[in-house]
Amino acid sequence: MQPVVLLISLTLMAALSAVFVLAARAARGPAPGPGANAKRTGLIWAMTIAGVIVSVASLREWPHALASTGDALQVNVSGGQWWWDIDTTEIPAGKPVNFNVTTEDVTHGMGIYDSNLTLLTQVQVIPGYTTRITYTFEEPGSYQLLCMEFCGVAHHDMVNEFEVIAAEE
Amino acid sequence: MSTASETFASEPAAAGPQAGAVKLTMILSGAVFALMMVFGLVMRAAQGQWIELDPALFYQLLTAHGAGMVGTAALSGAAIMWYFCGRYLELAGGIYWAFLGLFLLGVVLILGAIFIGGYGGAWTFLFPLPALSGGAWEAGAAAAFMLGYTAIGVGFLLYYLELGRRIHARYGSLARALGWKLILGREDNDPPPPAIVAAAAVTIFNSIGIILGAAVLVASLVHLLAPGFEVDALLAKNLIYFFGHVFINASIYMAVTAVYEILPEYTGKPWKSNRLFAIAWNAVLIFVMAVYWHHLLQDVVMPPWMLVVGQLVSYFSGIPLIAVTAFSTFLYVRGSKMTWDLASALLVLSVAGWSVGAIPASIDGMISVNKVMHNTMWVPGHFHTYLLLGEVAMAFGFMAWLVRGKTIARMNGMDRAGFAIYLAGAAGFVTVFLVSGAASIPRRWAVHYEEWLTHDRIGTAFSVLVVLGTLVFVLRFVARLGRSES
Repeated sequence: MQPVVLLISLTLMAALSAVFVLAARAARGPAPGPGANAKRTGLIWAMTIAGVIVSVASLREWPHALASTGDALQVNVSGGQWWWDIDTTEIPAGKPVNFNVTTEDVTHGMGIYDSNLTLLTQVQVIPGYTTRITYTFEEPGSYQLLCMEFCGVAHHDMVNEFEVIAAEE
Repeated sequence: MSTASETFASEPAAAGPQAGAVKLTMILSGAVFALMMVFGLVMRAAQGQWIELDPALFYQLLTAHGAGMVGTAALSGAAIMWYFCGRYLELAGGIYWAFLGLFLLGVVLILGAIFIGGYGGAWTFLFPLPALSGGAWEAGAAAAFMLGYTAIGVGFLLYYLELGRRIHARYGSLARALGWKLILGREDNDPPPPAIVAAAAVTIFNSIGIILGAAVLVASLVHLLAPGFEVDALLAKNLIYFFGHVFINASIYMAVTAVYEILPEYTGKPWKSNRLFAIAWNAVLIFVMAVYWHHLLQDVVMPPWMLVVGQLVSYFSGIPLIAVTAFSTFLYVRGSKMTWDLASALLVLSVAGWSVGAIPASIDGMISVNKVMHNTMWVPGHFHTYLLLGEVAMAFGFMAWLVRGKTIARMNGMDRAGFAIYLAGAAGFVTVFLVSGAASIPRRWAVHYEEWLTHDRIGTAFSVLVVLGTLVFVLRFVARLGRSES
């Protein structure tokens, strides 16, 4: 997902920057005509309609939806300054996993990274709460947990690993 | 938004006597911006392994950089808005000096907490991290840091109390100053100018933000003194992000008064309040307080409707910015025959940077995107865009205007070089952050993996340009100020 997000963002940012450059260059040109405010109204409607479409499309399926407990493997993760403890070191590929995550001290962020150091999903870990996310690993291999919320002087050392193994036929 | 036939607001008496205090504030702001940028440069160079930095010191610099930049953005924004509100209101100079004194007291406490006490809990002081340092700092250092925030907060409340009081006295009510008569289509012989509409809105939302921030600061201080006193960490996080989000946004909304008041000198078209402008500002008043949930999109224990509101408002708050402020800037500039000097160039750039920065922010505000972008380098990527190329550019544009003199002349070679270096440096710097975010590099890591070093080193090179451009602007301001004062 990340490359697509980057491409869309940079394209839109470049387009808006180009509009500003054109406006600056048009300072020596003719003044805006009487239709300028109609264009503004059109822009407001266009942004509103685009926003409604994107919002509905992106929220129709709840992004934090959990797999039902009957279908999913339950994995408990606890964190603290500056360690992760995971109660399952081998997770089968292709099966939904519900991560139940807790912290023993301050707020942390559990980010799941693949072997290419790509962030797959994450969740904040709040003192006094159990936070839950579902993720289904498609590929066997080594994965890492990295801390995504600044938690003190060894925040960058708060890393652990686990393996995803091929599902049994 | 305006017609060319209307005349400018007259320069009232209040602007003159307080210009000295505002100029002093801008010298301080420029110096602190430059110093904090050097801190940022050092952190990027350390991540790129070009220099060695102890992680404890890295996180102290991170804390100083965050608190220093947010505080200075707010300080410079407050100075700008005070200056221009002085064109319409009789503001008490003593209040401004008290505000500035409390701010400096806060700075001393914060710097002492960080560089003497070793506090490195980030500017967000996320509960209960200040009390649980793992041996990196003592409770006293964390308390000094939070007392520094408290001093700054009290100063800002005084500032807004004076502003709100004078607006009320001049316009009868904050509602009228917010342009409600314009919205309702009622006749108003003395409509509030854009700077006053902005001041009324910011006075309301930033006062609420600071009061809620004070609540969590007090709770955190009590927790430091009596660890048995517990606060719900999720509630504390909500309060902190409400305060932090509103406070940093207020800095831009205060500084934008420079655009409203200065650009008309160049375009010959006064920036006037009208119905759409008033609607936009009233929408901002609501949006800026409702949108902070987009910082908590990965806090899955939050009620889902709050996260939905966070996503929706993230996007829709871009409409007043792009369709009103940015679009109006296009209309003002187009065909204006304006002369491009450093002030006008930086002010137009600031509206562009602010608007462009809203794009990656809105996209990150989508819950599904946020799952893989939150707390990566994407986040500093988007906020550096609308701060470095937005608020800070507004502040530098205002500084250039303060020392411009009566005639408007085109940029000389040094001004052009400073502008080009700053723009190229900032654009490259924030683009590297965004690319790094898309590459999943986490933010706020003192030590980076080998795979990430190329990003860090390119980012470091661009940050050198940002520092150089900033030095040109600040030194130019101080030199010309000395000339104009003598």
